[in-house]
Amino acid sequence: MDPQGGASDADLLRAHLDGDAQAFAVLVRRHRDRLWAVALRTIGDREEAADAVQDALLSAHRNAARFRGDSAVTTWLHRIVVNACLDRIRRRQAHPTVPLPDGNRTDDRPSAPEPAAPAPDHDAALMVRQALAALPAEQRAAIVLVDVQGYPVAEAAEILGVAEGTIKSRCARGRARMALTLGGLRGDAGDPPSGPAHAPGGNQQAAQTVPSGPAAEQPLPASGDGRDER
Amino acid sequence: MTGAEFRGVDIDLLADYIGGALTGTPDEPVVATLIADDPAWRAAYESLSGGMAAVATELGRFEPEPMPAEVAARLEAALTTPAPRLTLVPDSGDGAPPVREEKTTRRERGRRLRWVTPIAIAAGAVAFVGFGLDYLSGRDGNSADKSASSAAGEAQARRPDSGQAPAIAGAEPKSDSGQDSAQSQSATPQLLSSGTDYTRATLAQAPTQALSAPAPLATASKFGRLSSTDTLRQCLDMIALANGAGPITAESVDYARFEGKPAIVVRFTADNGAWAWASGPSCGTSSGGADTLAKVPVR
Repeated sequence: MDPQGGASDADLLRAHLDGDAQAFAVLVRRHRDRLWAVALRTIGDREEAADAVQDALLSAHRNAARFRGDSAVTTWLHRIVVNACLDRIRRRQAHPTVPLPDGNRTDDRPSAPEPAAPAPDHDAALMVRQALAALPAEQRAAIVLVDVQGYPVAEAAEILGVAEGTIKSRCARGRARMALTLGGLRGDAGDPPSGPAHAPGGNQQAAQTVPSGPAAEQPLPASGDGRDER
Repeated sequence: MTGAEFRGVDIDLLADYIGGALTGTPDEPVVATLIADDPAWRAAYESLSGGMAAVATELGRFEPEPMPAEVAARLEAALTTPAPRLTLVPDSGDGAPPVREEKTTRRERGRRLRWVTPIAIAAGAVAFVGFGLDYLSGRDGNSADKSASSAAGEAQARRPDSGQAPAIAGAEPKSDSGQDSAQSQSATPQLLSSGTDYTRATLAQAPTQALSAPAPLATASKFGRLSSTDTLRQCLDMIALANGAGPITAESVDYARFEGKPAIVVRFTADNGAWAWASGPSCGTSSGGADTLAKVPVR
């Protein structure tokens, strides 16, 4: 039984700063699965994801004093992990590597879709994962946070350090690309592969998702900070 | 639906509209008008909005992805193992052969002697600061001093006492009380600037170039930060932490490349075996951690 199980994230971070040698590990234990899922799906390679998560969390461990409390601790941890992943992807772009024999690797794409967990419709799930892996890194990161992990747009915006409108735009454009890709693969219009009907959100830990249609639109901040990719 | 049938339609703009990113902006009524008046836009809207919603639904069906046990264990170990403290002592940089320190107050406090040396890496134009490494504490005060260093032109590190490979010894930080530690070792890593472009397949291979081998200036400049003793120490700290198996004993530090990228390649041993570890130039920074590019066990 974790003696610090009842402590809040902020309490644990304070305890870490006060010299509690176990507090940060408890904090990480609490959030590591979600951090891992975000990293893996953003970077697309298990080994790189493991390195990115570890490097990021060790940096957070060392630099916890820099946390100003402007956001939730978990948001701060996610931000560090996602940035570590995006940095690695950008480095791959800056220094393209010789393709591996399997020819999978591209500059900013995962070397391969992350291995899929067993799914009722494995082919459909694999196609969706491949389409996700083919997105530009920023769109992929936004979609992973919002659509896959279920974080609210506002929290995803905090994690990625951009405006909410930018998250909406990245998600929307990423979904559109995926829809076109998947529709093209299937040869039908507008219907990506769909598995058997079951409740969505198996991997989502937050209820809110980005609205997908005008009827669900949310007000944006001042014009100009909403979209970054036009 | 591939997009080809949406000729004349700005797919990104339409996606922004569908996704709510245009709400309250001047573009929103413009796109709404296009959808209402232009058959191509209307068809694209109808097709794409359904496709995007379906994609979102599929993405929400991804299975949970818990952190693998081995990754979690490594992370746990890294976070609960105190960082080893390394002390790097820059040389004066005059190119002189390594000089063994005389007994000092520090040594009287139980600290091991340190060795310093410069290493020229580019025809005298760029030089890495040579260094000796030492942990501040946990030293075996009775152990013989070891040195392994090189001036430019020296092909081998000096190992005067035991013949052991040059190494960095790691130990948990202790006070300056000079307490001995049975697991303490003292040595200095071999410094290289081989310029080798490692890959995962070759990373475990022993460095082949001697200490004084010049490296291209362009490569050397990438290590401006890591040529500092402080930042190199932080980098080694982070590698030890990332390895998650306690203190490391480094045998060599090679300023090289990995898959075409500048990389510092550290060969070390720890409780979890011998490793060749490639880190990028951000190694040791607050955001970069160990900046691990690759790591492979050395058999």
